[in-house]
Amino acid sequence: MNGRKSFGAKKGGRAGAGGAGAQGKDGQRRPMFRRRKVCKFCSDKIDDINYKDTKLLLPFVPERAKILPRRISGTCALHQRKLRVALMRARQLALIPYTAE
Amino acid sequence: MTRKYELVYVVSPEASDDQVTDLHNQVEAIVQRIGGSIEKTENWGRRRLAYEIGRHKEGTYVLEVLHGTGELMKEIDRRLKVTDLIIRHLVVRVDETQAVIERTKARRTATSQRRRVARGLPADRQPGEGQRGDADDDRDDRFDMGNERGMDR
Repeated sequence: MNGRKSFGAKKGGRAGAGGAGAQGKDGQRRPMFRRRKVCKFCSDKIDDINYKDTKLLLPFVPERAKILPRRISGTCALHQRKLRVALMRARQLALIPYTAE
Repeated sequence: MTRKYELVYVVSPEASDDQVTDLHNQVEAIVQRIGGSIEKTENWGRRRLAYEIGRHKEGTYVLEVLHGTGELMKEIDRRLKVTDLIIRHLVVRVDETQAVIERTKARRTATSQRRRVARGLPADRQPGEGQRGDADDDRDDRFDMGNERGMDR
């Protein structure tokens, strides 16, 4: 639970920075350095994105229980697709919420 | 054409342990009648549901890995649907995805072995080798100043 929350806050902050960086492209404000986002599944070599593995899936559903978009998590297209399927299966089994209550 | 399936069902929290095993026996009976086999059964025990399913807040999860045909799964699916004690179930075909996973794993070890041999190293990783030191941290966040909320971690 705790890990999930900190993840959301961290990534959320980064998303805001991303938006600002896109606007100030010519850099009138302070220059923005952002870590290059990498796909967690590619770098950790996780082949099997399994719906039963809630520990793996939970960081990708922050507070509102919506699926974290690729632009924020940095997941590659292939793994985001697999992740989505796994999340939807886990939701059906009530391992992961559809919405925040 | 026999395939590999995973079946997870959530049993109502009111059910006793005997009823849970009884449900498992029912599934087993169907599998034997139609033809197929159970590879393994896992009882995850009682877990909190992420959301309420028909005023239930908890449920007992059971996972079964089965080999059988589509007809078998169809029948199991139908039976689970009409069983009141089962509040939710999911059938997933896993043989193809597992084959893909194995293929990617095999391909990855093959490439790494090839590259290691090309570098004049033994094909397999040696114990204690390749552990990351602090110096070669390519995920350095020293320059990560875009985070307005500060370094809360």
